[in-house]
Amino acid sequence: MKQFIELNINGEAHEIAVEPGDTLLRALRERAGLTGTKRGCDSGGCGCCTVLVDGKAVYSCMTFALSVRGKSITSVEGLAVGGVLDPIQEAFIKAGAVQCGYCTCGIMMAAKQLLAENSKPSEHEIRHAIAGNLCRCTGYQKIIQAIQLAAAAG
Amino acid sequence: MSEFSVIGKSATRPDAYDKVTGGRGYPVNVTMPGMLHGKLLRSPYAHARIRSIDASEAAKLPGVKAILLPQDVPQRKFCPVFFVPTLAKSMVQDMVLMSDTIRFVGQPVAAIAATSVDIAEAALQLIDVEYEELPAVFDPERAMEPGAPQLHASAPKNIAKNPSFSAGDLEAGFKAADRIFEGVYQTQRVHTCYMEPRVCVVDSDTQGNLTVHSSMQHMFGLREKLAFILDMPESKVKVIKPLYIGGGFGGKLDVGYIEPLAALLSLKTGKPVRFEQTRAEDFITTTRNPIKVYMKTGIKKDGTFTARSAKSILDTGAHATHGAEVIVVHGLLGFFGGYRCPNLHWEGFAVYTNNMIGGGYRGYGGPQACFAVESHLDEIADAMGLDPIQLRLKNCHHEGDPHPLLGSFVNLDTYRLDECMNKGAERFGWSARKPAGSDKSVKKRGIGFACQPLWVSGCVGLPDIYEHSGAVVKLNRDGTADLATACIDLGSGQNVTLSQIVAEELGLRGADAVRMTYADTDTVPFDAPTHASRATYSAGLAVKAAATQAKLRLLQVGATMLEANAEDLEVHNGRVSVRGSPQSGVSIEEVVTRAESPFVQVTAQGPQPTTIQEKGTIIGSSSMAPPSNPSPCAAEFVEVEVDTETGQVKVLRVFYAHDIGRVINPNAAEGQVEGGFQQGMGMALMENLLFDPDTGACVSSDFLDYKIPTAVEMPPKIESMFIESIEPTGPFGAKSLSEVCVVVPPAAIANAVYNAIGVRIRDLPITPEKILAGLGKL
Repeated sequence: MKQFIELNINGEAHEIAVEPGDTLLRALRERAGLTGTKRGCDSGGCGCCTVLVDGKAVYSCMTFALSVRGKSITSVEGLAVGGVLDPIQEAFIKAGAVQCGYCTCGIMMAAKQLLAENSKPSEHEIRHAIAGNLCRCTGYQKIIQAIQLAAAAG
Repeated sequence: MSEFSVIGKSATRPDAYDKVTGGRGYPVNVTMPGMLHGKLLRSPYAHARIRSIDASEAAKLPGVKAILLPQDVPQRKFCPVFFVPTLAKSMVQDMVLMSDTIRFVGQPVAAIAATSVDIAEAALQLIDVEYEELPAVFDPERAMEPGAPQLHASAPKNIAKNPSFSAGDLEAGFKAADRIFEGVYQTQRVHTCYMEPRVCVVDSDTQGNLTVHSSMQHMFGLREKLAFILDMPESKVKVIKPLYIGGGFGGKLDVGYIEPLAALLSLKTGKPVRFEQTRAEDFITTTRNPIKVYMKTGIKKDGTFTARSAKSILDTGAHATHGAEVIVVHGLLGFFGGYRCPNLHWEGFAVYTNNMIGGGYRGYGGPQACFAVESHLDEIADAMGLDPIQLRLKNCHHEGDPHPLLGSFVNLDTYRLDECMNKGAERFGWSARKPAGSDKSVKKRGIGFACQPLWVSGCVGLPDIYEHSGAVVKLNRDGTADLATACIDLGSGQNVTLSQIVAEELGLRGADAVRMTYADTDTVPFDAPTHASRATYSAGLAVKAAATQAKLRLLQVGATMLEANAEDLEVHNGRVSVRGSPQSGVSIEEVVTRAESPFVQVTAQGPQPTTIQEKGTIIGSSSMAPPSNPSPCAAEFVEVEVDTETGQVKVLRVFYAHDIGRVINPNAAEGQVEGGFQQGMGMALMENLLFDPDTGACVSSDFLDYKIPTAVEMPPKIESMFIESIEPTGPFGAKSLSEVCVVVPPAAIANAVYNAIGVRIRDLPITPEKILAGLGKL
């Protein structure tokens, strides 16, 4: 049975209809029309669907939409403010960290939490912060460089 | 100072901005009004006959719009592989879309289109299938034995293909040898793990024309296969070029079940139909074929080969698909062509089993061959007290040699494998390597090396394989160019490298003055897939040719404006001018505007006459097959640490030296190499698709069970060095890159592990269990 709920996504209130079993991933992609959050495995294994809930990176495919009412959700569409890219986005472009790009948005969200909590992370800390996100194109090297660049810029 | 303005610089990918802000252009994001959602019912049995199917209850479920059963679909036999013509003699036509005969767990037996995914999934549960289970066989060597279950009537002993190559006199070669070595090497089943699932949306109109969106590597291949399977003219199938693909790596190099079934469901309902595979479905859709290689080498005391022979047994699964081609490429490029030897013999068997089908995967038989050959050579070097690099240098091909496979008409014009080995060894610090097993600590370090003597799995004169490319380049009045080509960027960077080639040739302001624009199979010339190692070279040549044609027209119109001869003009940094006097010229904007202007052009100086010869958009097109596809080559060095208490292997550092001709975009090339290492390291150490030995069902069907390297497992640094031979036939001297970097790591890592602990692992992956067993601890 569908029900209407209000979700706070990227600082805006979205009234959307969800089934009780709908994941946050589905709510974002199929109900709110925010397709930056990607479905890679739908089973908590790849991290393509990573978003922030109250500042913490979560797999939106493993999160019920109903469970995040009243919380602040940030998807990749909320990273740039007023058309100005987040330093993480700038750095991903600059470092050549984007290849196919399918994992990119999820990894940037994991990096967003990391840099919010630790503005000068070590390489070790960066590697562990994105260990829940798979990338099959880059070997992660330029992604790590991008997060280092963003940290230096921030 | 570089002779180029755009080539050789790390221009920013034009798609990067969109991808970091959400990336809308993936096929997974395509939706249409009224779209239905498709789902497949798949067989739980590995080998069975369907006695009956009853879908009447499913049909009654509200929201179910159409159901297809085996009897409802065309029974034309096909080969799904994109890069060969549908009826290519080299391939085996042994698949039908849906059949009463089941040959692997997961084979579709029914397709449903419904108004939602949930309804389609619920409807699947209501379909009643009665199976007659048949004995199954999962091991290819067992499948060739008498009495084994037979999968296809056309293939006695389950042998789908049995190619062989010979040269010289093998027996004499072994007689002349001082020593003879033998070894057996086995690779496992690994998955490409593209991140975007296989997905498609197919729409149909009232005249039965199809419009197809799909996450795939070849627009024209998809059109051809769909038209063939559905028995309709190709002109009724339009495949749209996806702006991006969320990774392919060869895993999207064939028509899936989903595209033709979506087409049939769309034709039946008159609605667009979408399929998106689950990750579990993706894992059983295509894979790298496991290959077991029996290898024998005769060698002189000085390290010269006198005879080499090998037998390769490839598990092609339920259908031949790519396996029938992978086996040939594996033998020809991976074994036969790799090193000089007068006496050679290789025989391959592509064998049917009740396993999942194979597929394309970056390297296409190469990683399996490289692991066998380069492990074997390491064993020989060790036993004979030779330096592994010197052993390779003594037997490898060198620049200027005749091509080992196409020697009568192609030379290895650019081929600096020796430089890759020598410079790589120096930069890596190869001389610090200690004797195998000499490290006495608990965590033992070892250094390993492997090279890829010859690898391009594209056009090497093989019959029936497409290598064509085409492009349309159109100049705009604002001085930019639109580039339309069917070459799809899978993430490997064609959007930027091809743009750089066009910008350089046309003298535009920069790579960002080129826009990779819309394309579909109706509007752009035929192209081979983005596969093998071919896009930079072959598509690069085609876009350069189209740009050259546009440039000629640009200079002709420019000549009328400058009252000069076109031959005396050049175009540079966005301006057309008389050669040697750049201040004299006119901007590209002015020339293009002039060409598209009315007959009399109104200017600030009043009306100016133009001539009829100037009229017409400045445009160039090309459709061509390149003369060859020259081989890149590479040497790779790794250092590992093996924990002898846990069996864990850690890669500490990696150094790659590549000859890929001139590097178009260094950042993109490094990205290819770094990502290639990750895939190769995964194959070396951890990846393995596992199946229940009794039922044949996949038991590692998500990323929780199928582990690929994360940022934590990857080595701290992967260093790349490019030795820029300038390939005379390539676009601005370039060759292609993609595969060499993924072919080498399993062998290099296995050799490093041996150097660390003195234990040789001959079957992949190199797991802690195998290490501990090798050390006598299990």
